[in-house]
Amino acid sequence: MAAEDLPSEFDVVILGTGLAESVVAAACSRVGQRVLHLDRRSHYAAAWASFTFNGLLSWIQQHHEESLPEAAPDWSSLLQEGEELIYLSGSDSGFIANLQVFCYTSEEDEEEEAAPPADTTEEEKSDNKTDEEEVEKQEEKLEEEEQEEKLEEEEKQEKLEEEQKEEPDEVRRRTSNPVALKLIESLNASHLVQSQTDHTQGAEPEEDQPHPSVTPSQPEPRKKISYAQLVKEGRRFNIDLVSKLLYSRGSLVDLLIQSNVSRYAEFKNVTRILTYRHGNVEQVPCSRADVFASRQLSVVEKRKLMRFLTSCMEDTEEHQAYKERPYLEFLRDQNLGENLQHFLLHSIAMATEDTPTEAGLASTRHFLRCLGRYGNTPFLFPLYGLGEIPQCFCRMCAVFGGIYCLRHSVSCLLLDSHTNRCKAVIDSRGQRISCSHFVVEDGFVGADRKKVATPTRLLSRAVLITDSSVLLSDSDQQVSIVTVPPIEAGSPAVKMVELCPSTMTCIPGTYLVHLTCQASGSAHQDLSPVVTKMFNTPDSPEQGERPSVLWCLYFNMADGSGVEVEGHDLPSNVYVCSGPDGDLGHERTIKQAEFIFHKILPDEEFCPPAPNPEDIIYDGESSTATGEEEKQEQEEEQEEKQDEGKQEEKQEEEEQQEEEQDVETHEEEQKEEKQEASE
Amino acid sequence: MAIRELKVCLLGDTGVGKSSIVCRFVQDHFDHNISPTIGASFLTKTVPCGNELHKFLIWDTAGQERFHSLAPMYYRGSAAAVIVYDITKLDSFQTLKKWVKELKEHGPEDIVVAIAGNKNDLGDIREVPMKEAKEFAESIAAIFIETSARNAVNVEELFQKISKQIPPLENAEVDSNESFKLTRQPAPSTRRCC
Repeated sequence: MAAEDLPSEFDVVILGTGLAESVVAAACSRVGQRVLHLDRRSHYAAAWASFTFNGLLSWIQQHHEESLPEAAPDWSSLLQEGEELIYLSGSDSGFIANLQVFCYTSEEDEEEEAAPPADTTEEEKSDNKTDEEEVEKQEEKLEEEEQEEKLEEEEKQEKLEEEQKEEPDEVRRRTSNPVALKLIESLNASHLVQSQTDHTQGAEPEEDQPHPSVTPSQPEPRKKISYAQLVKEGRRFNIDLVSKLLYSRGSLVDLLIQSNVSRYAEFKNVTRILTYRHGNVEQVPCSRADVFASRQLSVVEKRKLMRFLTSCMEDTEEHQAYKERPYLEFLRDQNLGENLQHFLLHSIAMATEDTPTEAGLASTRHFLRCLGRYGNTPFLFPLYGLGEIPQCFCRMCAVFGGIYCLRHSVSCLLLDSHTNRCKAVIDSRGQRISCSHFVVEDGFVGADRKKVATPTRLLSRAVLITDSSVLLSDSDQQVSIVTVPPIEAGSPAVKMVELCPSTMTCIPGTYLVHLTCQASGSAHQDLSPVVTKMFNTPDSPEQGERPSVLWCLYFNMADGSGVEVEGHDLPSNVYVCSGPDGDLGHERTIKQAEFIFHKILPDEEFCPPAPNPEDIIYDGESSTATGEEEKQEQEEEQEEKQDEGKQEEKQEEEEQQEEEQDVETHEEEQKEEKQEASE
Repeated sequence: MAIRELKVCLLGDTGVGKSSIVCRFVQDHFDHNISPTIGASFLTKTVPCGNELHKFLIWDTAGQERFHSLAPMYYRGSAAAVIVYDITKLDSFQTLKKWVKELKEHGPEDIVVAIAGNKNDLGDIREVPMKEAKEFAESIAAIFIETSARNAVNVEELFQKISKQIPPLENAEVDSNESFKLTRQPAPSTRRCC
């Protein structure tokens, strides 16, 4: 795994691995563009990332670090005549603010050299630009340190392994937790022992991570999962920074299917739509079957609801009459009753009281169209979390020859003074890489180059690890969306998604709960009132039969909905991708990616289906190998020639077969299939 | 006979012959100039094992290992991983430990691991002694085999060994909300076209 220089010529260079960038990368690579896809971070998916529990703790830590600002390196020496430099912003961490962590579960781990049991609530100053830059620098420094540590680790490794051979019994004795014990046993068996056993020995740098906040144990029988266990089984969590769902007939699902990127991911149906009302969580009947099975609705209500849902699919004069007026008003005039009105407004249209009728009806129709495609609700959730989706598109890009390099950035653009186009980029190591188009995540564009921005809007997010579901049912493997209308006048409407362990995002015995709303204050100010009402925390006015929060994180993130692709003070062949917005679906992002793709390649098809695995034939004639491989293979070839001719004969036969089974014909077949299917 | 789909992910340094091994296994073909995995999401081959059929879905790194940028999704749901090194390149064996570590970090807990020393047709320029590699494999309870994708040596055997180590299917818990792949076929109730 020796460090290698990047190739220096590409058609499209893309910085940032968020969803929009990744879709553009896949689309360009798919139609034959040479794509270089970079991210300064060590993980994929940028603001769309999902983290293991420990990964999330490190991420939190990074955003808490402070460090001294550092000047960007001066690359002006690399300039040729008629060229100008545009520096990119070195910081990408500006999209996060107001991080706060609370741990409400007990430490409860004997071998742990107890972290100070103080209720340490960590706070961070919001929108302080220098802070952000500092954090950024610190991250770089951290990465360097990490690498050094890794080297040291390797040296230590052999030594450690020997030690571990002698020590398993001791480790076993010190570990009371059966799960951890099992883990350690299996680790010892495989001699791959690193972090976990080191953890018990208290010697691993990874474990110096923050114990962001640990309160003294709260004696309550229900709380069985300790903080130590969350850390120990941390790798089984996949905690998304963004909380969204896929509409089963939304543009992301369509794109996944159309491009065959869907092969790389698995999904689960969201099984329930819930709403919070009068202090209770209730299930919202939305499919025909639900409506009829519902015990909350009277026969009259059922009939009314069915009639309403049927009628709203078609545009009527009555709808037109209410066009500009609030949807709530329209609903009121339907005499549906308070129950139905609540369900229709908050859970089905997911509208607020001011949403105009036109928009309310449009989202109601979208909701209804999405019912029944895969399940009884309109929504899907990807196994292992949303962070999988950008990675899937990245893989598609790589499969068609795109080159990937994490921990690698672009520090500036080279501008041709005559054409005002970006002709090359200079990477973080000072390498000049030529390109015809440059796509960049919004966070890397300096504020001075951005189109005069209205004050950046923020989203408020909370992530909870809880010990049971907000609404108990026959199955403990429910995936639920909960709409929480403003709990008092002036507070925001909150969207909540509760994930069960079978989504592979949390460990058995826990649920992962995401809350999202438009920010009016800090995330904690916006969301903690909802959390304390719906869950048991030490701040809850009374402890009821509700799930308890074991651990939670609040933060604000930038709302990407205000960022435009064009119109910035940037060359015409530079396109800006916005980060995630506050909507439940992905429509804006997919539309944006398609828009950018057509800007780059106006005449090409956007994400045509990739061939089926069964149809791929390795075709030696047309493919090219690069660098080392090529040399190696040439050597092999020479040796091969000396070998017996038997293989050559075989090869010829196969080449003939290949001609018959050309990949392109399969693509055509697929297109036909697709048409049939859509008919 | 029941068909079981098993995802197998390939790991190892660039140029050790990962793609050649798959190509030999799936198409019984060796190509000197293959550009790894252009256009291939994964390759498939079905082999019988006991009273089951194992359909291997073999994922190649698609070059994402070149700059150490494999995505965690690459490992998801893998039943087995094949870590390949080149017996004529000591470096490629030394990085094996890194791949094992990476696999342990990102891979499923119960994954079957196989270590394949490829290019064993080039024994005269061997740099990695078989004994050393075998001992390492044993120490991590991995399958070990030396292969030659070029001469079709031990490639079938590699996958047979993997097949044997795959634990028999447990009685699948009937979960009303099982995960699924999105397909062109929208609803199960409508007519089948594929």
